[in-house]
Parts: sequence; structure tokens; C-alpha cells
Amino acid sequence: MRIVIVGGGNVGYYLVKTLMAEKHRIMLIDSNRARCERVENAFGGAYVEVTHGDGTSVDCLRDAGIYHAEAFIAVTGQDQNNLVSCQLAKDFFGVKRTIARVKNPKNIRVFEQLGVDSVISSTARIAGSIDQELDWADVNSLLTQKATHVRVREALVVPGSPYNGKRLGEIGLPKGMIVVCIVRDGEALVPDGETRLAADDNVVILGNEADLPRVISAVRGEEI
Amino acid sequence: MYIIIAGCGKIGANLVKKLSNDGHDVVVIDPSEENLSQLENGTNCLAITGMPIDEDILKSAGIEHADALCAVSSDDNVNIMTAQIARQLYHVPRVVTRCYDPGKDEVLQQMGLCTVCPTMLTVERIGLLLGETEEN
Repeated sequence: MRIVIVGGGNVGYYLVKTLMAEKHRIMLIDSNRARCERVENAFGGAYVEVTHGDGTSVDCLRDAGIYHAEAFIAVTGQDQNNLVSCQLAKDFFGVKRTIARVKNPKNIRVFEQLGVDSVISSTARIAGSIDQELDWADVNSLLTQKATHVRVREALVVPGSPYNGKRLGEIGLPKGMIVVCIVRDGEALVPDGETRLAADDNVVILGNEADLPRVISAVRGEEI
Repeated sequence: MYIIIAGCGKIGANLVKKLSNDGHDVVVIDPSEENLSQLENGTNCLAITGMPIDEDILKSAGIEHADALCAVSSDDNVNIMTAQIARQLYHVPRVVTRCYDPGKDEVLQQMGLCTVCPTMLTVERIGLLLGETEEN
């Protein structure tokens, strides 16, 4: 997959390192020459290209080759720059999937309402969720063409989740939503209503786009 | 009108002065105390220290019942984000965004934002003045 990353600070640096190991083609943009050189010297080559410039400028994004990108990730330390980058990528250049980092967690809602596909509020969560988000992006872009409102998401059941220890039948998922698969101890199982969720289960859920975020948050034991 | 000015540089401060003299209720937001101190003594407005892209700051400035917002800080991207929060999340009826970068300005207009580009205004004005000089 071709991925544009804006921001080559610590988050960007390790993101490049992680994603290039999975044979993604990375185009990294940063406005600071020293940060560009650090990434170029460490990873520059067939999989990683570095562009020095403003990732919120139309010309710079074009020069970096954004037209060929399937995913766009903005991880600078400034929320306003990450928002504008993602909006240009999506609205002007037609990149299908945009992911932004926010410093202020209150901006998660703001970014989602302003059209960013995935919003991540901390360095720790980026490392964990980017792989999943990118993998499911392919499935979801297929679903978008076939059935507009249906999406697939994956989430890890935490010990504090209200669903931990409950049977699927008693959770009361919204209408039309199903748990397609549970990955437990490295084995995938197809559940039914009697299947009990446990901490550390990875659940794959198929359902209406509007209902999914609430259920995913509950699985992860996050405050809603 | 109840007007929020986000950004208190030279343009922001002069805008505050003009609009409050015209009899509008004006609130001005800027993260820098120093910028806010540019406001002339006796200027009739409320000044709030904070980042205009912070929803809590915008709420304390009364965005929920504002008639207009002008995003005129020196940072294009702060202005773009502030303007979109006002327009799309709080449905402020009139929102004006200052954007220095002409390339970005075009895209913003396509996205439906009402913008002012000081760079192109200056370029066009200087062009006009040179034309006049030639004619003379």
C-alpha cells in the first residue's frame, strides 16, 4: 500500500519504521530539514521517500506524489496542521483513508465531524491501531462500494469492558450488528449467542457505521 | 451583531476597534497576553486569552450564540480549523477566514469557506498602482 505520512517527529519516525517493515511504500513529509534527514538517513531507499516541505500546502502534497496514495496519516504535533493536511488529502486529492493524531483529546469529535476517517489521541494508541485500521481499510472500501453503511471493525476486549464475561446473546448489540469472529489464544472461532466474551479476545464486528463506534468503545472499556 | 475575532495581531486589533466603534458586541481571542495588550485602552470588547481552536475557549467566548466569527490569526491552519468549528459544529451564520497561502485559499473556497487572502489583495493592489503610475 502507498502511504503518505506528514510529520517526521518521534511518532512519524517509528511509524515509518513499523510500516516499511510490512512492505508498505511510504512518502514522508516534514517541514523541518533535520527531521527529514534523520528519517532519510535511517530508512531512505526503495520503500521510503522523504520530502522536505509544508504538509498542509497543496503544491507540496502534489510534489510528494499524493495522487498515488491509498492512505494518508498526519502525525505532526499541531492539531490544526493535521486537520488541514487530512482535509486536503481527502477533499482535494481524493485519498480514500485519512488518519490524524490529535494532542487535545477533545479534538477527536471535532476532527470526526470535519471528515477525518480515524482520529487517534495519543502516541500509545497510534502504535497499536494503525496496523488494524490500515488492514481493515481495504475491506471497508470494498464494503463502501457494495453496501454504503456497513463497516467492519476489530477491537480487543479489556478486563474492565462491560462485555467481559457476558454471552453475546445478553449484550444486546444494535439491530443488524453481529460479531463475525473472535480471535482467542491465536485461534479464530465463529461465535453464536451462547459464546461468552473474555478479556484479551479480539472481536471482529460487522455492522452499521453509525452504531459501530459506540460498541467498539464499549468493547475497549472506554468511556462513551 | 455579536462578533468573535479569533486572533489579535495587527489586523485583529484593528478589526476589534472598528467593529466595536460601529456598535457591535465584540469578543477577541488570542493565546498571547502581549498581543491582547495591543488593544487600545478603552476599547469596548471582551478579551480572552487562549487558543481559538480549543472548543472550550470558543464556548467561553459565546460561540453558541455568535452572529459572526472572523478567523484572523497569523497561522492559516489555525484560522481554517477555527472557521470550520464555527461553521460546521456551531452553525455560526457568518464566518470569514484569513488565509495567506493563495494555493490553499482556492481550495478553501471550493470547500465553501468565505476567505480573504491578504497576499493576493496586496499583489493585485500593487499591480493596479503600478498600472496607474505607467498611465501617468
